[in-house]
Amino acid sequence: MAETNGVHAAVDIPADKAEILARPLEERDDIVVCENVHKWFGDFCAVRDVSMRVKRGEVVVIFGPSGSGKSTFIRMINRLEEHQQGRIVIDGIEMTNDVRNLDAIRREVGMVFQQFNLFPHITVLGNITLAPQRVRHLPRSEAEALAMQLLERVGIPEQAGKYPAELSGGQQQRVAIARALAMQPQIMLFDEPTSALDPEMIKEVLDAMRELAATGMTMLCVTHEMGFAREVADRMAFFDEGALVELGPPDQIFNDPQEDRTKMFLDQIL
Amino acid sequence: MTARAAPAPLPPATTVGLQGWLRQNLFSSRGNSVVTVVLAVVLAWFVFNLGSWVFVEADWTVIISRAPLYIVGLYPYEGYWRLCICLLLISVLLGMSWRAWPNAARRFAFGFGAVILFVGVFPHEMAPEHRALLLLNLPAIGLGYVLTPRPADASPGRLEAIAGGTLAPALERGAIFSTPRRMISAALVALVLTMILILGIAGVPGLDPVNPQDLGGLMINLLLAFFGIVCSLPIGVGLALGRRSSLPILKVACVIFIEVIRGVPLITLLFMSRHILPLTFPEDLNIDRVYLAGITITIFSSAYMAENVRGGMAAVHPGQAEAARALGLRDWQNTLLITLPQGLRNIIPAIVGQFISLFKDTSLVYFIGMLDLVEMGRVSVQGNQEFIDNGREVYLFIALVFWVFCFSMSFISRRIEGVLGVGRR
Ligand SMILES: Nc1ncnc2c1ncn2[C@@H]1O[C@H](COP(=O)(O)OP(=O)(O)OP(=O)(O)O)[C@@H](O)[C@H]1O
Ligand SMILES: [Mg+2]
Repeated sequence: MAETNGVHAAVDIPADKAEILARPLEERDDIVVCENVHKWFGDFCAVRDVSMRVKRGEVVVIFGPSGSGKSTFIRMINRLEEHQQGRIVIDGIEMTNDVRNLDAIRREVGMVFQQFNLFPHITVLGNITLAPQRVRHLPRSEAEALAMQLLERVGIPEQAGKYPAELSGGQQQRVAIARALAMQPQIMLFDEPTSALDPEMIKEVLDAMRELAATGMTMLCVTHEMGFAREVADRMAFFDEGALVELGPPDQIFNDPQEDRTKMFLDQIL
Repeated sequence: MTARAAPAPLPPATTVGLQGWLRQNLFSSRGNSVVTVVLAVVLAWFVFNLGSWVFVEADWTVIISRAPLYIVGLYPYEGYWRLCICLLLISVLLGMSWRAWPNAARRFAFGFGAVILFVGVFPHEMAPEHRALLLLNLPAIGLGYVLTPRPADASPGRLEAIAGGTLAPALERGAIFSTPRRMISAALVALVLTMILILGIAGVPGLDPVNPQDLGGLMINLLLAFFGIVCSLPIGVGLALGRRSSLPILKVACVIFIEVIRGVPLITLLFMSRHILPLTFPEDLNIDRVYLAGITITIFSSAYMAENVRGGMAAVHPGQAEAARALGLRDWQNTLLITLPQGLRNIIPAIVGQFISLFKDTSLVYFIGMLDLVEMGRVSVQGNQEFIDNGREVYLFIALVFWVFCFSMSFISRRIEGVLGVGRR
């Protein structure tokens, strides 16, 4: 596929990122801190007592059975869901009801959804330049240059003028990734980014995510692509019934799970 | 390797072509054949009788001799040329739409041109200069067509061709957005010019002011419906946003307004505007009944528009708002940039439907003493001894005029739906 060529092109990593990446994980700072986080929907406890620290530049894959609170958890990290107990700190910014904090956090955190959620009434280019222009107040020319650069990076610069509906699912998801990156976030959240895709399109999206991980982006991905997890994740988090059951490197999760529930779930899906 | 697949078997002759269609749809069983024959006979009898009445017995003098009254009411004869020019402006706009949205507007432009041609060459009494101005509409459509740049979003193939290099985005944006923007400015200019031409300006030679009460006939039905819809759109959007708002007072006020207006027939609102509202005005403020009717119809239409807009916005997928929030857009930005545009787009067919029903409802303005198309028909028949027996001709004509307009509207609406389908999920 000619159009995915851009994905594998050598990535240039900014100097400050490179410096951080050069350090081993344990010497980096925590960019996401969750302490005893709870979330209820009515009486139902969707996320219970989750504590997790994510290092700068770390890739964490979150997996677990359906309804285990994975989406709810990562949606709390950019406040699409409000946590009701516990503490969340994103890159030093405390998650509170203060609008300024919220704005700052939304700038730090980009998100990619299962259903892409591209804006169907504007072109691909418009989708990517909207937030940089309206939120970061970039001039249009700059926003467009940035957008073209990002489209280049996800391998579909020639689609800039089309409307989302004119693209394949895989192309749409790559646009969604470019759209989130255009806000130049420090952290990227992915909620089952390949679940709505046909098998032949999954690879192109995973390739874009691999490339992103290689640039030192901090990533929290809900996914059941275990090949991707084994290859890219620094740590994996297993959720069940709203709780974080096990958190460890892929090696441990796959070969030596500490919890029975983790082992049972992996036996089912592998 | 050269073994060719056997040619695909042909379907039996009885299932294809005219013969197949007839067999499948009209004569599929003995019972159906009987029904088909009986209905065909009844239909033929009906069409024959109506046709012989229309072409032989009916006396169309009541329409032909008074045609301008049905079209423009008591509008002064000296000002007819101004109305002709308004029509020319509309033709230019139509030509532009034809070019910009060929799928939506082409056939309508053809139909419009055909009607113009028919009226323009029909051998009835008409001043030669008016006839010439009328026929000028055909080149005017062409002019609008030529003035408009060809849209890029019409064909994906062309789009691909433009989007070849890195220059693409700028070109693309120009091609896609310049057309509607140009259309909107052209429409606004035409609107202002139309109003000036119709009502005139005091002191400008040739543009003597016209008494608004003299506006009548089909023209007043169209004007009221058009302004009703155009003005009710922003008001309706405001009301819908108010109804969605989290401020309780604003919300309650909008709900009350919408539900009160929707719960009352238009005719009672017109009555109140004419007979009750003026009691609350200062003595010397004398609003012409045409404007009262316009304001009343706008208010009436706004309440329905508000509900349409609200429905259209509610139909926008919740993921859209989530994506907007995740990108850091504020709630108001999300509403204005994401939800509202998609919501409005969802309801374009509903807006056309509302325009159609509003257009028909405008015939109620007879109630406050205005001479719209229907009322003009009634006056023609009941006010003239010589036409007292021609009621059938008059009302058949009026029905035909309303039908032609409403049918064209719903035709366009369906076309627009098709065109909009392209850019949507
Ligand atoms: N808005 C809501 N209102 C009520 N209950 C909710 C809501 N959102 C999620 N839930 C419930 O919370 C639980 C966790 O949902 P969540 O979407 O986080 O699961 P998940 O792990 O992402 O599942 P899946 O793999 O199916 O996406 C589920 O039982 C779900 O029914
Ligand atoms: Mg989920």
